[in-house]
Amino acid sequence: MTATRLAKGGYIDRDQLLNFTWDGRTLHGHAGDSLASALLASNQQVLGRSFKYHRPRGLMSAGVEESGALVTIGRGDHRDANVRATTQELYAGLVAQGQNAWPSVRFDAGSISNLFGRFLAAGFYYKTFMGLPPFEWGSGTGMWMRYEKIIRKAAGMGEASRSPDPDHYEHAHGYCDVLVVGSGPAGRGAALTAAKAGVDVILVEQEAILGGDTLAQPQAADNLADQIKALKGAGVRIMARTTAFGLYDGGVAGLLERVTDHLAEPPMWMPRQRCWTLRARYTVLATGALERHVAFGNNDRPGIMTANAARVYLNRFAVRAGENIVIATNNDSAYAGAAELAQAGASIQILDARKSIPDAIRAQAADAHAALRTGAAPLMAHGAKGITALDIAGQHAANWREAGKTDCDLLLVSGGWSPVVNLLSHRGVKPVWDADLACFVPGQTNEPLSMAGSAAGIWNDNACLLSGQAAAERAVAHLGGAQGSSAAPAPGGWQGAITPLYEVKVPGRQLKSFVDPQHDVTTEDIRLAHREGYVSVEHLKRYTTLGMATDQGKMGNIIGLALMAEALGKEIPQVGTTTFRPPYTPVSLGALKGRNVGNHFRALRRTPLHEWNLEHGGTMTMAGLWHRPWYFARSGETIGDAYVREAQTVRRTVGLCDVTSLGKIAIQGPDSTELLNRIYSNPFAKLPIGKARYGIMLRDDGFVMDDGTTWHLRESEYFMTTTTAHAGKVMAFLEELLQTRWTDLRVHVTSVSEQWAGVAVAGPKSRQVLESCVENPAAVSDANLPFMGVLETTLKGKVPCRIARISFSGERAFEVYLPSDFCPDIMDALWESARSMNGCLYGLEALGALRIEKGHVTGAELDGRVTIEDAGLGRMASDKKPYIGSALRKRPDMARDNRPRLVGIFPRDRREIFNAGSLLCAPDHIEGYGEGWITAVTHSPALGHWIGLGFISGGHSQWHDKTVVCADPIRKGNTAVEIVSPHMFDPDGERMYG
Amino acid sequence: MAERHSALGAGYTRGPHGKPGEPGVRLQEITGLVLHQVAAWPQTVAQVGNQLAQAIVCTSAPQPGHSATGSYGIALRVEPLKWWLLNTEPPQLSVDSGATLDLSHSRTHIRISGPEAATCLNRLIPIDLRESYFTDGQVASSGFHHVGVTLWRSPTGFDLFVPRGFALSLWEILLETAEQFGLDIS
Repeated sequence: MTATRLAKGGYIDRDQLLNFTWDGRTLHGHAGDSLASALLASNQQVLGRSFKYHRPRGLMSAGVEESGALVTIGRGDHRDANVRATTQELYAGLVAQGQNAWPSVRFDAGSISNLFGRFLAAGFYYKTFMGLPPFEWGSGTGMWMRYEKIIRKAAGMGEASRSPDPDHYEHAHGYCDVLVVGSGPAGRGAALTAAKAGVDVILVEQEAILGGDTLAQPQAADNLADQIKALKGAGVRIMARTTAFGLYDGGVAGLLERVTDHLAEPPMWMPRQRCWTLRARYTVLATGALERHVAFGNNDRPGIMTANAARVYLNRFAVRAGENIVIATNNDSAYAGAAELAQAGASIQILDARKSIPDAIRAQAADAHAALRTGAAPLMAHGAKGITALDIAGQHAANWREAGKTDCDLLLVSGGWSPVVNLLSHRGVKPVWDADLACFVPGQTNEPLSMAGSAAGIWNDNACLLSGQAAAERAVAHLGGAQGSSAAPAPGGWQGAITPLYEVKVPGRQLKSFVDPQHDVTTEDIRLAHREGYVSVEHLKRYTTLGMATDQGKMGNIIGLALMAEALGKEIPQVGTTTFRPPYTPVSLGALKGRNVGNHFRALRRTPLHEWNLEHGGTMTMAGLWHRPWYFARSGETIGDAYVREAQTVRRTVGLCDVTSLGKIAIQGPDSTELLNRIYSNPFAKLPIGKARYGIMLRDDGFVMDDGTTWHLRESEYFMTTTTAHAGKVMAFLEELLQTRWTDLRVHVTSVSEQWAGVAVAGPKSRQVLESCVENPAAVSDANLPFMGVLETTLKGKVPCRIARISFSGERAFEVYLPSDFCPDIMDALWESARSMNGCLYGLEALGALRIEKGHVTGAELDGRVTIEDAGLGRMASDKKPYIGSALRKRPDMARDNRPRLVGIFPRDRREIFNAGSLLCAPDHIEGYGEGWITAVTHSPALGHWIGLGFISGGHSQWHDKTVVCADPIRKGNTAVEIVSPHMFDPDGERMYG
Repeated sequence: MAERHSALGAGYTRGPHGKPGEPGVRLQEITGLVLHQVAAWPQTVAQVGNQLAQAIVCTSAPQPGHSATGSYGIALRVEPLKWWLLNTEPPQLSVDSGATLDLSHSRTHIRISGPEAATCLNRLIPIDLRESYFTDGQVASSGFHHVGVTLWRSPTGFDLFVPRGFALSLWEILLETAEQFGLDIS
């Protein structure tokens, strides 16, 4: 193949010379080039190696269907594998290299596998290596896993970087009245017509410049620039470099916009790609059609491409792809390109599989000074790394026979056209086989969606334009505008009928003919699958991997179907077609993820004391979306040292803990008390104003949902606290109850979790700390604020606050809530006071130790499987009122005696430790799920040894005098433990109530 | 009175960011938010609406999804039974009429303006912000990075009310997104 850059023409800027690197060699192209056109102009013929056989591959197309020139772009972490050179815009400094080859695609040691190609047919690996002696010898799939690594290395495509993607991406939402996909004649016609009717139009084009198939034609033939100007003037919003990769419910289209993939040095503030969710009221799909190959011997050789591809390279990129060109066709479409190539100086031979062709088409061949042979087709290509000659087949009755040989450096193939019906297929609409056009055309849909142009099987440019206009008129009418008068042209439009041609073969001659070049699926693979009993196209696909590569069958599906139909003695529509699913072309995972990576993987929720905690030595940990202080280590302390010290300090003097993350819900309205009485299992009807009560909330099915305290502030107002984990769930449940079941209750519930910051002040000296910070110290006296008392008062600095004397730690303690923005200043004051009393700041780890000692439950215990009795709180549940869960908690299984009950756990040897998540087993039966499990563990500073909380069948009474084994088979092994009451420290609560 | 601390803290870096030149997007935190929720019962919506309109001195309380600006404050109808009242104290309501609630510290108030404000917001929020669909004064609840937020098309741009705890995280994403348009933080 001898390609030549022409001195004029094309949509390239010859004044902008762009250097780039291909497989270590510096080449150059021009602005406006694709990587493929620049490589072609530089006469680079071998651009890839095939998936399985490592056969040399060159350009096969000029667009998204490319199966030969799959390359790797970029270096290091920016490396992007399996990029189609045909869709990659050239930029200065671009680095591209071949893939699946060593040392290079020009000479690849792996090509030895091609010599054994006859042994590597469909299913070879599975038949040979899986479950068959001596390779497997009845030992499961273990050996296969080893072979697989080797096989994967030998066969494959590009290798992605294993480092995190350094680029950034984003999501976007767009809205329009009419979405037009494709900017060929039909798309432009649709967009302009709709925009002139006054509707808001977005026109999406996957290429960098608008034009679609018009770009494949000589520029003089169409005043494209004026048309684009008219589109802009009419207000059409144009999105170039954007692929509509999926069509979803409700007029939603998924778009991938390649924002900086064409830039040598993208600005750091620009995302590399943008993934759009576009919502359109009407969609026009003018997605064009793809030209098909034909299966014949060595049809994958470099120098063999579709006829239209050569036309694109000629007219868009000003590259004549060869000098001595053979064009093999079965339809009219290849003739226009023949004339243009001839005019550019190439010598042309045309092989037309049809026996007769219209005079006008014959005249076109004559204009190209082309030698025309009818009833002829390519049989086998010659040449090692590029085509040098072609064996020709001639039609004899219903068969082909060898009919000579001709030299050539470029073979262009047109086996017919396949409308791009992929997006319609995403909507569940099956395409319909049109035997006259030898292609699938769009099926009918009731959605606000039209197909236009060659995507609807219309081959003539003017008809495509009319088709687009008619589609736009349907869209405008659907949106309430005027009814249009245009009729959509019928599919077709060639002067001569197409003669279906999928494979060329002659009896007795072995040919290597590829159906799906990306996965090296040959015609023999299809026939082998048939011989082995595969009759469903879905099974055929999975067995041979036909259509499962990055092009998703764009190149080979129709040929594969045709061969299967032939083997089965059926017609193509009887064999069926595979369902196209999104994405139409590959979408990077980064684009799907958008900005939701790194620190923004999830939204981070910070308390108003976040910075304050960090400044005071806090180490943070995640609690749901919240960042909470974990521990406050002093110099040289480990986490273990820190939390033990913190817990001891709380028990000895006083500690401060940021508890802002607890859920807080304002409950307001005259029926608030009634609501609380219905949702809590314990009574709330008589809770006095100024008092808080601990409550247990059940789900409808009787299991515990959450616990917390609720404070009675005023006659019709309560302040409910929930666990951090269940705050959202409780809030949503209350809303659901009020809006669906109890619409008669006059209650408003509002999350105030963000309004109120919370600080726990815990320890024997907690009251002194508070006294120093409130404006009226007497307000927090024992008399005014007894256990479970609630107070609304003012902190120094005139900051309003709510204080309740409640305790999670088991010490005398208070929870102080104040408006969030004021919290850092107030914390300064609280800390100054606490520090003067040798107090400490404490985090979640110490909080956990303190509550485990006391046997207080959290989300670790209330995991959705626990009844109120299981949690040891059954006595709280009222028998005198109905409440959520009151009926179903009395189901027999919920009340059985041997349900797992909350217990405390000590190691029998107090020097031992054990892990949360371990199973509790009887010593003589250490298997299965055991008798229970451990939910939380800690070193108890108060008791001086390791302790835990957990559940065991029958509870403390069943096991208190027996040895139990804590089984932890994959971590620590077995540990002998004893079961104790969950209230392991100060069981009577003297410290808390005192 | 103690000082109010912004949730944006050190993340609020004034000045130009990202693409040089005339900024396409301007961000500003409106500090000192005064926000009260005014809620009615189904039977008292009209009555509470009248009280609200009288309190801020406007002709009528806004309908769902809309706002009203009066001489003494602004009301946003955030739910069928609830308004948010900006910049003023709420009217006194009897228990049988409705309930009021101070939410001044619950949200961070961010104003997004500039010629690319809508485009920038649509990178993050799935609301049709075209002027003919989300008109001046309209209010909507939506999701921003999976966090519930309230958006109001105010006379000066888009006013976004985000939960305080998420504010800095969402601000960081907003800032990163806005840089491509040229960003000025005032």
